[in-house]
Amino acid sequence: MSEAMAESAPDARVDINELPGRGFLNVRLDPRDKHAVKSAEQVLGQAMPLVANTYSSGTHRVYWLGPDEWLIETDAENAAALSGELGEALADFNVAINDVSGGHVAQRLSGPESRTVLAKGCTIDLHPREFGPGQCARTALARATVLLAAGSEPDSYTIIAARSFTDYLRHWLTHAAKK
Amino acid sequence: MLLIECPWCGPRAETEFSYGGEAGIVRPLDPDALSDEEWADYLFYRANPRGAHRELWNHAHGCRRWFGVERDTVSYRIAGSFRLGPAGSETGKGANTERDD
Amino acid sequence: MAAAQPNRLPRGGRIDRSRPLKFSLDGKSYTGFAGDTLASALIANGVLLVGRSFKLRRPRGIVGSGAEEPNAIMQVGEGAGAQPNLPATRVELRHGLVAHTTRGWPSVRFDIGAISDSFGRILGAGFYYKTFMYPRFLWKYYERAIRLSTGFGHAPAAPDPDVYEHRNAHCDVLVAGGGPAGLVAALAAARSGARVILADDGNEFGGSLLSCAEQVDGAPAADWVAGVVAELRGLPDCTLLPRGTVLGYHDHDFLTVAERCDVGEAADRQDHARPGETAERLWRIRAKRVILAQGGFERSLAFCNNDRPGVMLASAVSTYINRFAALPGRRAVVFTNNDSAYRTALDLAGARAAVEAIVDSRPGSGGELAARAQAQGIPVLHGRVVCDVTGKKRVRGVRIAEWGGDSWETIKSTIYIDCDLLAVSGGWSPAVHLHAQAGGSLDWDETRLCFLPAQARQSHDSAGAGNGRQSLDECLADGLRAGAEAVAKLGLAPAAIEAPAANSAGQLPIEALWRVPAERDADRCPKQFIDFQNDATVADIRLAVREGYRNVEHVKRYTALGFGTDQGKLGNINGMAVLADALGKTIPEVGTTTFRPVYTPVRFGTVAGESVGGLYDPVRKTALHEWHEAAGAPMEVVGQWHRPWYFPREGEDLHGAVARECLAVRNSVGAMDASTLGKIDARGPDVVEFLERIYTHNVGRMKVGRCAYGIMLGEDGMVMDDGVMARLGENHFYLTTTTGGAANVLNWLEAWLQTEWPELEVWLTSLTEHYSTIAVAGPNSRVLLEKLGCDIPLDKENFPFLTVRNAKLAGMPVQLFRVSFSGELAFEINIASQFALDMWRMVMEAGREFEIAPYGTETMHVLRAEKGFIIVGQETDGSVTPVDLGMNWLLSKEKDFLGKRSLARPDCLQEDRKQLVGLLSADRRTVLPEGAQLIEEAVRAGATPVPMCGHVTSSYHSACLGHPVALALVAGGRARKGETLFAVGPEREPIAVEVVSPVFYDPKGERQHV
Repeated sequence: MSEAMAESAPDARVDINELPGRGFLNVRLDPRDKHAVKSAEQVLGQAMPLVANTYSSGTHRVYWLGPDEWLIETDAENAAALSGELGEALADFNVAINDVSGGHVAQRLSGPESRTVLAKGCTIDLHPREFGPGQCARTALARATVLLAAGSEPDSYTIIAARSFTDYLRHWLTHAAKK
Repeated sequence: MLLIECPWCGPRAETEFSYGGEAGIVRPLDPDALSDEEWADYLFYRANPRGAHRELWNHAHGCRRWFGVERDTVSYRIAGSFRLGPAGSETGKGANTERDD
Repeated sequence: MAAAQPNRLPRGGRIDRSRPLKFSLDGKSYTGFAGDTLASALIANGVLLVGRSFKLRRPRGIVGSGAEEPNAIMQVGEGAGAQPNLPATRVELRHGLVAHTTRGWPSVRFDIGAISDSFGRILGAGFYYKTFMYPRFLWKYYERAIRLSTGFGHAPAAPDPDVYEHRNAHCDVLVAGGGPAGLVAALAAARSGARVILADDGNEFGGSLLSCAEQVDGAPAADWVAGVVAELRGLPDCTLLPRGTVLGYHDHDFLTVAERCDVGEAADRQDHARPGETAERLWRIRAKRVILAQGGFERSLAFCNNDRPGVMLASAVSTYINRFAALPGRRAVVFTNNDSAYRTALDLAGARAAVEAIVDSRPGSGGELAARAQAQGIPVLHGRVVCDVTGKKRVRGVRIAEWGGDSWETIKSTIYIDCDLLAVSGGWSPAVHLHAQAGGSLDWDETRLCFLPAQARQSHDSAGAGNGRQSLDECLADGLRAGAEAVAKLGLAPAAIEAPAANSAGQLPIEALWRVPAERDADRCPKQFIDFQNDATVADIRLAVREGYRNVEHVKRYTALGFGTDQGKLGNINGMAVLADALGKTIPEVGTTTFRPVYTPVRFGTVAGESVGGLYDPVRKTALHEWHEAAGAPMEVVGQWHRPWYFPREGEDLHGAVARECLAVRNSVGAMDASTLGKIDARGPDVVEFLERIYTHNVGRMKVGRCAYGIMLGEDGMVMDDGVMARLGENHFYLTTTTGGAANVLNWLEAWLQTEWPELEVWLTSLTEHYSTIAVAGPNSRVLLEKLGCDIPLDKENFPFLTVRNAKLAGMPVQLFRVSFSGELAFEINIASQFALDMWRMVMEAGREFEIAPYGTETMHVLRAEKGFIIVGQETDGSVTPVDLGMNWLLSKEKDFLGKRSLARPDCLQEDRKQLVGLLSADRRTVLPEGAQLIEEAVRAGATPVPMCGHVTSSYHSACLGHPVALALVAGGRARKGETLFAVGPEREPIAVEVVSPVFYDPKGERQHV
């Protein structure tokens, strides 16, 4: 990590920071199963976003990944317990809950040039009118698949990617932020 | 680069998708009952039309859903995308569908 | 410095005379000004001769002022950063610029090859094909000589030091071209609230307005431009891209724009581009509407010796005078078939050049512009043409003849006029390139004599001169129309905007003159050039037709018409016209050649963007990567993964390390990072039914806690992927895939679930990245794990081979598998990746007393090959069935599975299919080359065609067996055990090999069961 940090110029108008201590759960369920959704929401204390490409914020962040797939971002220490609670609450439903904390790394990108940096490698429209707070998208950034979420503050984004791509993405982001 | 409408995520660049070939190729329910020719027909032969083509795409870098697209093989224009219909429908997968464009 | 810039006008132009810039051409120093192009600076310095022609080596001068320039092709810069093939008309001057002409040896002024001009008669169309074909064996010599004498610049040998980037963008309206029409269109769209991108090829916006003497809204045109640009700059959702060339109009309104960033002020500021600063940026734009307003290209005319330096496009002459204050000649003749060149005559007169005559092919008395010229005392010769030019390295004079309107009758020149400049206008062709690239159709306009954009196929519209509008008034109005229509199509409320007014003069129609008749017939007269860069002449096109070419695309390829870096922007339409005449057809019947991206040549670096060096392709690293690197392991690239290849100790090479690692696993214990395996969690009420259809074995019979080796086939019956799968619960499985197949297999499984069997309730979740996998293999693996502290019994009875357990190892939660890819007693530890490095370190620490060896992919390969275990992609190649591999035992007879039916196809039942066998070299010493073909007789490779009966798929030296082992696919191989075959590679003597069983080590498989 320090290698990438050292690379960013001191006058960079973009900050790239790894978000430490994040845990992740992957949830599969059929959203037409209202009871299952409700049970999950009771455990989470927040909404399961049913609108495509949105996320809910609360104790956790719950990202829509697909029509029957979500990613819960929570405190790493909490992930196993939350997984257990969800598993218990949803035991009678046809769902799959997997702790995938080991497989994801979250980074935060902020600063006035962050949108420009992303636009170098991401083909979705990042204009704040099209991709604003509360919205997320699984998409490609450079040559990696990422989950990109627009933060509540302007020009701030969360990038969640598979662990094995972390160094590549950091290298790419640092390179893109340099210019 | 094509702009493909994912029925869930909306329009995205072609690079987010992978191609799945012609839609509506239904796997025979009892392959053993088929002659070699019939099996080969299912396995190898595709319509390859000039013009409207219903085909499968997977939003591989996005929501991971497979869906159908009607694309003109000459102009590459896309008439629309559709979610895949229930299995066992008369004309096979990708046929019993609602337009989603 | 006495004659510094002798042709620079004392006043005017858009150059900054306070910023002189030194530059050099072919080692000679010159001075120009900021705002100059290399071409305008050369003209100001009196340099017009800039190259030699491609085939005939004729001296050539600057002809145009933009992308149409065919002659002034330069090598700019030196060393690794040099750029070949740049037209001087598109190179912005900067301080210290070093340019070289690219053709002519030893120099442009004296070129040995020019002797070929004397033999021009035999160098007609297709001369390479005809001249150098026979005798055939000499072609390799011809080719070498031809290659030496052709081409433009030379590509630098060192890597490009420049930095490039890509930028994705979206907009409501993309306007290509910032001339009068583009500016008005952009303004109309932007004022209505649309997100607008305006891209222009030039270093500043304005296009033709920067080089005309006309007024807009009562003010000099350039002032009006400045006002519009300032307003656009102030709008938040408007992006201006000067120096942005729209290169391509691709499918679904996706356009690419190359933005030059390292020129102009940026270059001055940086004093030779600061390292790391972007040189060029490729914009990848998805637009909702596109307005194409790129203007038009002036055409030349075909007449004898029309390529002499000093023959220039009339519009280029005006541009050099008005925009750059550079006067290309002092005694000029203007030759035209339309009105626009009269402006050039007026511009020349305004610059105090002598305009000897305007030669107008049209009969009659002329219109408003002719009257203005005559008022200035310029003689206008109607009904006459310039039929020949004298002078070789510079125009010395022109011959003028009366013309009756027939292009093919010979004529007699009656007038000769001395001059050093001939400004020619053969009319205008709208730049329809992007419209055509987008799939739009073209219509021939018989009045304006040009192809006009007709039916659009995507969301585009054309405006201004690019839409066939001729006067400035018309262009401005058409831009406004296009802008308003785009706004309406987007559903935005249109902003009020008035059309700016210009003082355009009325114009008389153009005359259909393409080729000027000569004093001898068309095939014998001095050369009448169509394509200057490729030396394609009127006679060449006619010859092609005589030799049977009919299609314009074929004629193009035979004559090389339009093949150069200018892609025929200057000459193509004239070529079509001459071709049409030779074929007895009309121009629209002949049609145009295909317009393809890119519009102008582009740097390779721009296309590559950031994807170079370490960012060329993602490097995927496992959670243990750091440790492997610290241990000094070289990496093997497997797909995008970097996996440790072997772990050399001091002084060890690959073979030494691998031998030691193999023996450690066979005799004690080794550990490998197997994290790259694909891992899938599969669960749901129908998961058994689903997996029964996917895997070939009986999944339902597996007990909870059991593992099994499974393979999946494509529907064609060929092995697609393999791996261990485990039943974790009644309706819960864990599947592994090969490293390379991980993503594809998951997509494949989802495809069946989502498209074919949506009634099956199954959830698939990838755990590839979540779990890291540490394989601990060898007779001491059990004691090692026990030493680490495990909360479950690991003995054979409680934890037998091919089972899975959840456990705590060294206090950490893990999934433990008793599986083996080495044939030894072995365990695989699945642990959440964030804890994997700790676990690995503990395994290494605990293993020290057993002299544990970390091992890499090479040792893994040797160990599995000794056991005859296949690697998908190595023993298989998409044409290998499980039967070929001897895996019949894996094929359930009780159920259907994907690919099963195909195994009964006649082709899959043939007995001479290639089957998996082992091979031993007869001398027990030679390691066979992987990929070597197998033959039945010991014939030398290449001696004669020999039937091949198989190939080597894997081959290693086995340290524990003391001899090499190899796996191979051999036709009917299982029945050939004991036979001798020969392995042949390209450079070796045939190697005798013996066909044996593919299992070399522990054939009964006892060691993994202990």
